[in-house]
Amino acid sequence: MGEWMLAHRVVIVGGGTAGWMTAAALAKLLPGRCAVHLVESEAIGIVGVGEATLPHIRAFNERLGIDEADFMAATRATFKLGIEFVNWGRIGDSYIHPFGTFGPGGGEVDFHQFWLRLKQQGIAVPDLDLFSMACTMGRMNRFALPSRDSRRLDSTFGYAYQFDATLYAPYLRAIAETMGTKRTEGRIVTVHRDGETGDVTSVQLESGEKIEGDLFIDCSGFVSLLLDKTLGEPFEDWSKWLLNDRATAMPCHTAGVVTPYTGVIAMPYGWRWRIPLQHRTGNGYVYSSQFLSDEDAAAALIASVEGEPIAEPRVLRFKAGRRARSWVRNCVGVGLASGFLEPLESTSIYLIQAAITALLELFPEKEVSPVDRDEFNRLIDLEYDRIRDFLILHYHATERADTPYWDYVRTMHIPDTLAEKMELFRRRGRVVKYREGVFLDASWVAVYLGQRVIPEGHDLRADAPSAESLVAGMQKLAAEIQSLSGAMEDHGAYLGRYCPMKDAA
Amino acid sequence: MTADRMRDVIVLGGGLLGWSAAAALRRKLPALRVTVVPLPPPPDALAERIGSTLPSIVAFHRDIGMSDGDALLRANCSFRLATKFQHWNGELPSYVHSYDRYGQPLGTASFHTHWVRQAQLGSTSPFDQYSPAAAMARNDRFILPESDPASPFAHFEYGLALDSAAYPQMMRAYARHLGAIERPAGFRGVRLDGQTGFIAALALDDGQEIKADLFVDCSGPRALLRSALDQDFEDWNRWLPCDRLLLADAPPVAEPSPLDHAVAHGAGWRWMAQSLSRTSHGFAYASSDLSDDKAARTLRGHASADPQAPISLRQGRRPRPWLRNCVALGDAATMVEPLEWTNLHLAHSAIDRLVAMMPDRDCAAVELWDYNRQCAAETDRVRDFLALHYAASRRDESFWRRMRGTAPPDSLAHTMRLFAERGRLPFYEDETFDRDSWLAVLLGQGLIPRRTDPLIDAVPPAISEAAMASMREGIARLISTLPTHADFLRNLQRQAAR
Repeated sequence: MGEWMLAHRVVIVGGGTAGWMTAAALAKLLPGRCAVHLVESEAIGIVGVGEATLPHIRAFNERLGIDEADFMAATRATFKLGIEFVNWGRIGDSYIHPFGTFGPGGGEVDFHQFWLRLKQQGIAVPDLDLFSMACTMGRMNRFALPSRDSRRLDSTFGYAYQFDATLYAPYLRAIAETMGTKRTEGRIVTVHRDGETGDVTSVQLESGEKIEGDLFIDCSGFVSLLLDKTLGEPFEDWSKWLLNDRATAMPCHTAGVVTPYTGVIAMPYGWRWRIPLQHRTGNGYVYSSQFLSDEDAAAALIASVEGEPIAEPRVLRFKAGRRARSWVRNCVGVGLASGFLEPLESTSIYLIQAAITALLELFPEKEVSPVDRDEFNRLIDLEYDRIRDFLILHYHATERADTPYWDYVRTMHIPDTLAEKMELFRRRGRVVKYREGVFLDASWVAVYLGQRVIPEGHDLRADAPSAESLVAGMQKLAAEIQSLSGAMEDHGAYLGRYCPMKDAA
Repeated sequence: MTADRMRDVIVLGGGLLGWSAAAALRRKLPALRVTVVPLPPPPDALAERIGSTLPSIVAFHRDIGMSDGDALLRANCSFRLATKFQHWNGELPSYVHSYDRYGQPLGTASFHTHWVRQAQLGSTSPFDQYSPAAAMARNDRFILPESDPASPFAHFEYGLALDSAAYPQMMRAYARHLGAIERPAGFRGVRLDGQTGFIAALALDDGQEIKADLFVDCSGPRALLRSALDQDFEDWNRWLPCDRLLLADAPPVAEPSPLDHAVAHGAGWRWMAQSLSRTSHGFAYASSDLSDDKAARTLRGHASADPQAPISLRQGRRPRPWLRNCVALGDAATMVEPLEWTNLHLAHSAIDRLVAMMPDRDCAAVELWDYNRQCAAETDRVRDFLALHYAASRRDESFWRRMRGTAPPDSLAHTMRLFAERGRLPFYEDETFDRDSWLAVLLGQGLIPRRTDPLIDAVPPAISEAAMASMREGIARLISTLPTHADFLRNLQRQAAR
């Protein structure tokens, strides 16, 4: 009974971040149980979006045995404590969506409920982000690793990285190849399928070489060579809510400090990212082609970046949505081949990671069981759907009326699942809680309040303490956070000591 | 906004549930005026009558500012660690469901994956041998969880066995101490507001009417208040077929065990639970397969006590326990057999939710929607957990064959399918029983996954076996050094007396 046939020949179609993350994870975590063969073509560029990540990536790297400082040096990475959103609720607004909690965390009643109560009583209280370690450190441009002692305030933040995605893939490739992953260079011209079952049996290269496999991983990016082009899996289009379909990207030299957070600045027809790396700053304008031409977008981007441009703007095209199923027959889509959500909340690499984690847990036998496949699709759909609502919130919760673009998103009909969440928050600051899911309570609270969704009431349990004791407690807390953050090292100095990039050439 | 704020709450029901709700409301939301109309609980209110409780009761006590000591000493409670399930699964031995970690993780794969692989290779050590609390329960031992996380006895939780007389009295005293008002009177009816359909007032048998913003219905299965608004009910009979219940109380034994017993029978199951105040026996069965007389004879034979009148049980839940300004708690919201002792747990959980989500006087639909959604999710997962005991049973009587032939609820079918395939448990929100509980029952009932997770390949079977043997031996060695449950209780009383 113990012996069963694994899908031992795994063919990964496409390199890039998704392909090499998958290869490294399979090679490292299922050693000897599958032979991994990756096919990529240097003629096809990699998209390399997702330079900003979520804290979950740390667990992925740890599982692969990656040393943090070494990885950061190699990918010229910086630390990321959250995202600063500028001009979203109104032009001139700014808030940070932090990785971590508001207040000390762990209480029975959420910290923001006490804060809301005092505000509603007309008592002056400091801004909510002064009660977040991550926000405060970010604003002060400081960094230190979080404490492991959960009783301490400086354990209440998390962090991720901002890195050069085009360097992450080669870094993982080295690991995968050490563990025995085979790599073939070449462009795929034909996908062969079994006449009876319809399963994919092999991919054929321009050279004529045929690579056979039991399980195929589609990491071909937007092309979606297997899921779309071969198997014709339909695409669920979400562009009525997420209308951006273009991005123009352009790196520049860093002017000023290297911030430990990503910048996301709302623009007249979309938004702009600013991702500080050790050697440069990544920039891009994500917009809707219905409202803005590529030329105007590029001009707007060039006009708004802070440093001297390093390259010409480069345009990417996409559509928000996902494949109805990410795993079809013996093909599993990972990354852009299975769906796309704009990088507003840095979820691209997270979604790759979620698919890999689910694949590892549900790794099939030679014959794919529908039980595994259905569960994989259920998990991936859940991830996509929850992120989708969170992204739509950013557009819908705005008072901006300066362009037809913002008029549309402000007044559009949103999914019921999100409408209910927003109304609950408006009533008394209640966040629909999930035990699992990528964005937890504090993330929702940060965006709601940061974008002027202001509750009318609060959780009545927050009325128990006296106003005086609450105010005193809050002042003490804010002072402690201020002093802990202030004692930390400058972010740039920390990087220079901890993980300086080896060679900027 | 202050003008709309909830002020007056009436709780209908004077059993432990009504008083628990009143205590929690007063403790957490002291601005509310809480009036309890203490109707005596009806005999079929199971949240009142089933004395075995889950670990959540300990958290509930802590939450409302009551110590375990209050419950244990003033209300004559004792501890309970686990339930032993016998004869549910053909030839397989009995199994123990404790509220504990089963085994320690080995490498990157969870413990049960190793256990499953060893079982496939022919090992016969039962899964519950790896739960220290199950071992304590089988040997009638007890200690409180240790604070050192390295101790095998650090990860379990315990429930309480309640004294059906002393416990409600203590809760009443505590709620009154917190400022709940008692309004002794009988119930005559409700008056609805003609326009809004809200409950306007409660008519009492002394001729008076009392008004409130919110009415909390703790009156048992008949739901005297809530059923005035609608009769919607989701019936679970096809998955949980027992529609009759017999209870019998025998005198207490000198040294009560922290282990309860649930024994499958040809047309249902019966239980036995010991506490300081009594030995409770019960029998849940399907009236289509067994007459009340025969059931009573069976139970009398085991209990050496006369069963009380049979209780009719219609298992299921109200789709909307909270409608307009009336929220149903306990049996008024959900009726479920006592298998796995969830009756009071579900009621406590609803109280916590009520306190946390207290709306304004208008009881806005969106807030009630969220409350009802969470209650439904939680209750449906409890239903699944109970239905699992039937769906994964192995007995030959027609009652059991019928249950095996019934398609489980979709969510449970998904769990069972996934588990049978590769030992994986799908994640659901609002789960009462954690992974180890599901594993204890799935594996205990004999559902062995077809294959194991390839992630454990890195650890050879011999290494798993050695680690597992050392876990077993470690537990066995320590058990005999622990005090018996009875000694532990006596010691607790001695300390309190000092």
